[in-house]
Amino acid sequence: MARFVLTRLVQSLAALAILSVVVFVLARATGDPLHLILPMSASEEDFANARKYLGLDRPYVEQYFSFVGRALTGDFGTSLRARRPVGELIAQRLPNSLRLAAFAMTVSLLIAFPLGVLAAVWKGTGVDRAAQIVAVLGQSLPTFWIAIVLIEVVAGRLQWLPAGGIGGLSSYVLPGFTLGWFVVAGMMRLLRSGMLEVLDSEYVKLARVKGVVEPRVVWVHALKNALIPVVTFAGIYFSILVTTAIVVETVFAWPGLGRLAYEAISSRDFPVIQAVVLTTAAIVAVVNLSVDCVYALIDPRIRYAR
Amino acid sequence: MRLSIALLAALLSTALVAGPAAAQGKPDLTVALSSFSTEVLDPVLGGHVVKYYMSLMFDYLVGVTPDGQLSKDTGLATRWEPSADHKRWTFHLRKGVKFHTGEETTSEDVKFSLQRAIGKRSTTGYAGPLRTLIADIETPAPDRVVIVTKEPTLIIPTYLSRSLSTEGMILPKKYLEATGDDAFAQKPVGSGPYKFVEQVTGSHIKLAAVDSHWRIGTPRFKTITFKLVPEETTRIALLRRGEVDITDVSRERVKELERESFPIHFRREEAILTTWWVLPRDGQPTKDKRVREALNLAVDRNEIAQSIFGGYADPAHVPLGLSWSYRDIGFKVTPDMQYAYDPARAKKLLAEAGFANGFPLTMHAYQLPGLPEGKAFSEAMAGYWQKIGVQPKLVPVDYPAFRKNWFDRATPGAFGYYNVANRDWIGAYAFLEKQAYTKSKASDTVNDPEIDGMIEQVMRQTDKEKIGALMRNVYTRLRSEHYGVPVVYLHSPYAASKSLGKWNPGTVMYDFFLDELASSKR
Repeated sequence: MARFVLTRLVQSLAALAILSVVVFVLARATGDPLHLILPMSASEEDFANARKYLGLDRPYVEQYFSFVGRALTGDFGTSLRARRPVGELIAQRLPNSLRLAAFAMTVSLLIAFPLGVLAAVWKGTGVDRAAQIVAVLGQSLPTFWIAIVLIEVVAGRLQWLPAGGIGGLSSYVLPGFTLGWFVVAGMMRLLRSGMLEVLDSEYVKLARVKGVVEPRVVWVHALKNALIPVVTFAGIYFSILVTTAIVVETVFAWPGLGRLAYEAISSRDFPVIQAVVLTTAAIVAVVNLSVDCVYALIDPRIRYAR
Repeated sequence: MRLSIALLAALLSTALVAGPAAAQGKPDLTVALSSFSTEVLDPVLGGHVVKYYMSLMFDYLVGVTPDGQLSKDTGLATRWEPSADHKRWTFHLRKGVKFHTGEETTSEDVKFSLQRAIGKRSTTGYAGPLRTLIADIETPAPDRVVIVTKEPTLIIPTYLSRSLSTEGMILPKKYLEATGDDAFAQKPVGSGPYKFVEQVTGSHIKLAAVDSHWRIGTPRFKTITFKLVPEETTRIALLRRGEVDITDVSRERVKELERESFPIHFRREEAILTTWWVLPRDGQPTKDKRVREALNLAVDRNEIAQSIFGGYADPAHVPLGLSWSYRDIGFKVTPDMQYAYDPARAKKLLAEAGFANGFPLTMHAYQLPGLPEGKAFSEAMAGYWQKIGVQPKLVPVDYPAFRKNWFDRATPGAFGYYNVANRDWIGAYAFLEKQAYTKSKASDTVNDPEIDGMIEQVMRQTDKEKIGALMRNVYTRLRSEHYGVPVVYLHSPYAASKSLGKWNPGTVMYDFFLDELASSKR
């Protein structure tokens, strides 16, 4: 087991190292940030001054190793746009994204669980079809469209909930629902197919033959086994929610990591782009590693197969 | 039991539907903006756009009225005068003005602030021209500052006023030296009517009123919060819920908001949408004046104003012509200067210039802050020019990519545009110095020796009448030579809450004059 974990850890670190090179190169390929920072009247001397002040006058290789060296100590440099330490910006924004993702995940699970189980139990009925519609809509409707409709109707017209910004629990509802709907659809489908398989298994049939009441068969015996892939995917979905909320955070004026990424990309803020990408990649790597470990613990065949 | 449930439901629905308190008599003012620009709270690093919130925290050396006129009543300087040779400008400072730290403002603070504004680290809009112009700053007394210039000039007071950028903001020397630049940018201190409370990047900036300010008395609003809300639907929903009092809206949402009785405040002619062709002209069809005129005549400005900008725009006729400066210099757009929409004559001119079959034209298409219609506009221009035989090739890019092309002169003859913030004569001069003066090199779009000569004279001229004449001549030549395609003046709408009351957003670029709205002396 220790060897398995070590191998996975090395693979994750290698992925992060490769990613650091890719993001370093791609960030610079998007253009010169000084054209956004400096005014139109800036002279060549102004450009040279700013380039020197921001450390952009050094050779790329030197810039890269300086960035990696500092990143290893947790120092991602200073934002070119906000002129603040990047670590401080991430520390300010990441908790907001984590809280929103946690809220979205909780809501998703609360909806997906009963819906998935009932759709399997009442396969082919109206409930099943309704659940299928939820799944199709959740996975096909664009997030930005859902967000704008909710803001326009629920916040603007009906004035039931806040339209944007971070505040009390009510401010989480619309962005959380928008973010979580996609997850509801995925989880519900996963749970439904898992439940269908389990409900058809021998041990469930045996439980029924032994006279166990149907709700207990479904919610205890069957659900427990159908949950394994769902729990695994929940972890992965959570990391996706934290790292891909750019649209939701922008539309709902939510000061999270996704918004930070959007602001950084649109202003060519290299240090922030690099830090956000590496932070999100690290989150995904840690979650994947944890999932792999949990899987390996649950199913010993995985350790030997790999 | 049934009654209790009904009561509970009623209470819940009231709580949900009512939302925040209406703005009437509210002690707090909230402004939602689509962009905060850099979000750096240091005047020398922020650029122009930060003025929206920074103007509340700092006093300027020279104050202005909301319509952009220099004022001895609204800045730190109570009066100023030049020496006979116009190379020494003496500013007399107001006594008893205190920073938020409690220390009194002195000439040392003014000197320190100006040196910082023109320092190498500064990225303000006019740091470059000021650096070239200023030779020395003297402080003969705590309430007197003398700015010594290398050349005779009239423009120093305006450059250091609220009507332009942030160079005139006065900072506390002692506090800044004690805390350092980085700490200052995170907790700025000025002497304005509002002091810094908190900033959450990407979310909001909150300011709190000082007890009493020399200029506006005790501010009406205890706090002013600027919220960053990029999505317009969200900003409008916040307005409907009473969570914001002022917000920028697009021209296409104006009628809808007016139907709901939200007051719309327009900053008329807030920007000119003007276009140009990347230099050099040599070897390009646009080298021929007839081609430039043809491209102007092919554009139906009224149609663009109506269809793309919802009627909230007016045709423009002078390339780079900033109309807020016209009054100062006595310039008038005469009927013969107005471009007719005349595609037939445009075709004829192209044929005379040897381009009867048109020519390929690269057209960059990009969005700009305050111009969500950017790409639609570029496509419309391509359509007009296609009608007279030109073969436009639309290249979707983002503005910084175009700006690099433009500055590097990588795509000669290519079409670019900008919604240039309108400004008074000195602001217009500073703009022309950037974009119509050959020595500006990278950002020049005109390259005309005659105009270069006039711009150089403006800088050295100390007779206001002669300055006016020179500026008029610059505009006249820009128009007669068709150095670009001026399209429309844009009226920018700002929606307000129904209870905000009378508000004059003024005519100074990137400044809402919220301190005037908050003034207890109104």
